Formats: sequence, C-alpha cells, structure tokens
Amino acid sequence: MASVVPIETDVTPELPVTLTDINGTSVTVTDVSRIIALDLYGTLAQTVVGLGLGDNLVGRGSTNTMESMADLPVVTHDGHQLNGEAILALEPTIVLTDTSIGPREVQDQLRDSGVTVVFFEPQRTMDSVAEQITAVAEALGVEEAGVELADRSVAEIAQATADIAAMAPADAADKLRVAFLYVRGNGSVFFVLGEGSGADDLISSLGAVDIAAEAGIAGTKPANSEALLALNPDLVLVMSSGLESTGGLEGLLNRPGMSDTIAGQNRRVVDMNDGQILSFGPTTGAILRSLADAVYAPAELRP
Amino acid sequence: MSADVRQTGVSGVDAPAESIHPRSPAPPHHRARRLAITVAVLVILLAATVLGSAAVGQFPLTVAEILASIGRRLGLVSPDESARFADGALWNVRFPRIILGIIVGAALGIAGTLMQGMFGNPLAEPGVIGVSAGCAVGACSAIVFNITWLGEATVPVAAFVFGLLTTFAVYFLSRSTGRTQILTLVLTGIAINAVANALIALCVFLADTASREQIVFWQLGSLNGASWVAVGATLPFLVLGTVGALYSARKLDLLALGERQARHLGVNVERLRIIAIICVAILTSAAVAYAGIIAFVGLIIPHLLRLIVGPSHRVLIPASALGGALLISLADVLSRTLVPFADLPIGMFTALVGGPVFFLLMRRSLRSGSGLA
Repeated sequence: MASVVPIETDVTPELPVTLTDINGTSVTVTDVSRIIALDLYGTLAQTVVGLGLGDNLVGRGSTNTMESMADLPVVTHDGHQLNGEAILALEPTIVLTDTSIGPREVQDQLRDSGVTVVFFEPQRTMDSVAEQITAVAEALGVEEAGVELADRSVAEIAQATADIAAMAPADAADKLRVAFLYVRGNGSVFFVLGEGSGADDLISSLGAVDIAAEAGIAGTKPANSEALLALNPDLVLVMSSGLESTGGLEGLLNRPGMSDTIAGQNRRVVDMNDGQILSFGPTTGAILRSLADAVYAPAELRP
Repeated sequence: MSADVRQTGVSGVDAPAESIHPRSPAPPHHRARRLAITVAVLVILLAATVLGSAAVGQFPLTVAEILASIGRRLGLVSPDESARFADGALWNVRFPRIILGIIVGAALGIAGTLMQGMFGNPLAEPGVIGVSAGCAVGACSAIVFNITWLGEATVPVAAFVFGLLTTFAVYFLSRSTGRTQILTLVLTGIAINAVANALIALCVFLADTASREQIVFWQLGSLNGASWVAVGATLPFLVLGTVGALYSARKLDLLALGERQARHLGVNVERLRIIAIICVAILTSAAVAYAGIIAFVGLIIPHLLRLIVGPSHRVLIPASALGGALLISLADVLSRTLVPFADLPIGMFTALVGGPVFFLLMRRSLRSGSGLA
C-alpha cells in the first residue's frame, strides 16, 4: 500500500488544545505522544502519518496496511468489535475515531478511563478531504502542518482529476458506467454502494458514471441478481480482500447476475486495497491516479 | 394422593411431575444435604470464576496490581497516576463486564426455570421458544428508530415490552387442551423465532451502518461494551424478576401436580401464569437488552440442577441463578481472552454446549412418548 509522505518530519504540537468534536463534546487535548487512530476506512491514521506524527502511533486498525505501520499491533477485529482492555493496554494518550467503528460503549470506556477521545465526521467524500485533515491537525495541535497537508492533498486530487479528464471519454454518452460492489465471503454480504456512500464521489472523480446513484440507490442496498442486471455496469469496482474472500474474480463472476452484465462478460473488475479505496484522505490523489490507470487501461493490456 | 400433596406442599421437594421429574425422590434428609453441598459448590465455583475472571484479560495485570487498584478505589492505597490505564481497564471495562455477566446469567437461569415450571415442560427456554428473539426485536426497533424517550432505560424497556408480547403469544399459541405438549411448544418456538428474525432482518435493512453493527451483535450475544450504566439498568430488572419468581415458587410446585390439582389446592392458576410470564419477560429483557441473544443457558442450567437438587422451585430458582451466573462468567472469560484484540460472541459457547443438550433432552422426551402432541 502506498505510504503517505509526511508533510514535515519534525513537528512540535502546540498543546493544550480545546475543541468541540463532531458529537458536540468539548475535549481538551494535552498529550499526543501515544496516538491510536481508529476508523473503518483507515483515513485518520493516514492523516496522522501525513501530519508527521506517524511515530506517535501505538496501534492501528486492520485497514491500516501502510508499510510504516506494519509493526504496530492491530486493535480491530474485522474492522469492528473493538476491545477496550486491549486498547488500554497500549496506554494511548489520545484516540482519534468516528462512529464507523465500535461498539460505541468501548469508546466511552476509553473516555471514562481518562483517555482523550476525539470523534470526527464519519462521512467520507471528495469535498471533505481538506476539512477532515484540518480537523485532525487541530486536535493534535499541528494546525500549520494540517493546512499544508490539506492543500497538498487537494492539489493532488485536482491534478489527478485533470489528468483523468484527458483519459476519460469527453462525451457524456461514451462515459464508462461503473458500479461499486461491496462483497464479503460467499454469503449474503453483497451490496451495491449508491449515493452518499463515497463510492458515487469516487466514480464521478474517475470521469465515469455511478449507475447506482443514477438509478436512485441511496446508501448501501443488497445487490440482488436482477438489480445487477438492471444496472448492467460496464465495469465493477471492489475491495481487494472482499474480492479474495468471495473466491477471486471467478468467485465474483459466479455470483448470480454478475456473468450476464457487460462488466461480467468482459471480465472488467478493478480491485483496490480495502483501507484505501474509500478512505478520502491524504492518499486520494494517488488512489484516483492508480484507479484511473486500471480503469482506462487499453483493452490489450487488460489481464 | 392427599399424602403426596401434603408432602409437596410442606417440604416442597417431591412434586411428582412426570415430564420434569428426572428420577425417583431421595429421602428428604439426603435432599437437604445434597442441596447444601450443591449451593456451596456453586457459590465457591462462582466466586473462583469471578476472581479468576478479574485476574485475566487483554490488559496484562498481576493480582497485586489489581488489589492495589481496588485499594485505590476504596481510598486505602494512595493514588498512583502511572496506574491510570490499569484503573481504567479494571473499573471501566473488566469489572462492569464481570458483574453484567453475573446479572445476565442469573436472569437467564431463573427465566428458564420459570418457563419450564409454567409450561410443565423441560424444553421451555427463552432462547429456544423465541422470547429472547422477541426481546431483541424490541431492542433493535428502539436502536434503529432512535427512540430515546426513556433515556438509558429505553432499550431494555422496549425489549421488555416485546418480550412480554412474545411470551404471551407463545403461551397461548402452544397450549392445546390445557397442557403444553413438547412438540407443539418446539414448533411454536420455530414459528415465533422465524417471525422475530424476519423483523430483526427488517431492522438490519433499515438501519444505518452504526446501528447495523449493533444489531449484528444481538444475533450471537456478547458482553463487550458492558458499562456501569448497563449494570445499573439491568439490576432492578433482575431483582424484580427474582422477587416475582420466588413469590411464585411454591405455587409452581403445586402446578407441577397438574392444573386441576393445583386449583383444588387453592392456586389461582391463571394469575400464577400471568405473574410467571411477566417475570420471564422482565428477566429475559434484562439479559437481552445489553448482552444480546445468549441461548440455552435457561435450558441447560435448570435441567442440570433439577437432577441434583430436585424439582422444588424454591430451591431450584436460587440454584439456577447461581448456575446461570457461573456458566455465563465462564463463557465470558473465554470469549474475551481467547483471541488477542478480539471479542468472541459469548452465545457461540453456550450454543455449542446447549445445542447437543437440547437434542438429547428432546430425544428422551419424545422416545418416552410423554410429551408428544
């Protein structure tokens, strides 16, 4: 997984900071020497690294697969079901988190135990990247680095978007029609991500059409075979370990309905690391670029 | 007959109910000794489990550190800033979890005993016949629709209301000709569970991501995230349910003789059943609201203890409370320590043991032909 290049390598947080977090709780941060950043997407930990405080991280979520964090203990199981004792054993001074991970009682237990817990916005969109980064920077007392990292991330996204505009078909009618499918295992965890899920934003940034949002699907809806056929995507985006868990490309194509879609017939499936694809953070510019390379790869280069 | 009845009424240990009476009665003095030994063993085992449970966990602590932390809390040891993480892990995570486990286990043990007494049927259990799932429907609805008008008590109260409806439904649907047959009861349970699970699935469908996570946790049960708030919210339910259960204990013994006999002995059978149903709903909802669906505890524990201490409810109810607390405490130690950084669902352990026990009981009951509808 691509690492985030820290904006500075030697930052000195200016503390204490008092702020009101997204849940409306007033929080005073006095010590950021031992940080744990926990959210379903891995964005918060990426941001901490980007701000130059990566060395202060003492634990990571299962979605933080960045090389610089490889040695840290993983404190999440399946991306959720946090264990209060295990986290406290790492003696964090501050926990950055959001409601995408839980159970909520565990975060309350940490707060009750004297750990500073700061909640951030759980929604991820292309427009929230800068806001999220500056919010994290503010909480860690490194506002200046935050502004720089936010500017850099936004500039990278703008550059990637401009490059993609040159790759994607200009005519609206020729645009690639894409669906983001969330799949886990071979059971019923098979969803299509629609409007407001972040996938819509990602797909339109790739110069493609999110057919789920176009069809009026909001949030996460089960991807039954007829719905898939009705959507009939040209290309499908998935998360890598999700794809692996359902038996790879063949497993996904064997799902009812899949093989009859255009994407299924042309075997056009693009997968990316679970902890990156919907993270909307400091790596989003790079994510867009590599997704675009895969999505718009010339037919003869496709595997 | 009258001698039998008098003996039952007075000593309360020899109710000759065919279906829930596993072996011929031992002489009363043997019973008394066996009872004393059983209760003592249960208390000792529970105390040992609780102490052991307090000493192990994913936050590594020595017994001395734990004692020091307790001392600090009681003001006997001077405060120690360096131990604040240890204090947090013990007082905000481990201790409330242990206590909630005891409450949940005791509630499920008593609820199982009451149901078996009320139905005169050894297979009655809140999880098997769908009362737990009914409670979960109430709890899930409160979560999904963000109902909070009762504050912290909203989820348990919603669980109670739905649990009550479910218990009444099971009761009226499964009775035929004045007696509940095993097959009818089990089939009613299947139907009730199916409807309840459909409603839970609907809640999952309507829920946002955070609520969905919370609901998934009902399905197998877990004590992860136990807090003092949860302890405070469930304890009154347990106390209320236990009082009601003990109040009904003698009458349930008489009911075991048969409905008509009980009536002749002055038991208001309908009132007794309604009280028992309300108690079952109170106890089950207390357990389900914060720990999810933990099945089979109410099945294994009363059954096992009835073999040892006999069928008298005045004895069986407190013994089952102890036994249920012991079983949940043991299962929870495993669930929170087996896999690092993870929390296994506790219902997994109870179902692994309870499933086969349930099957054996049903086989035996069906083979003897006593309960076949």
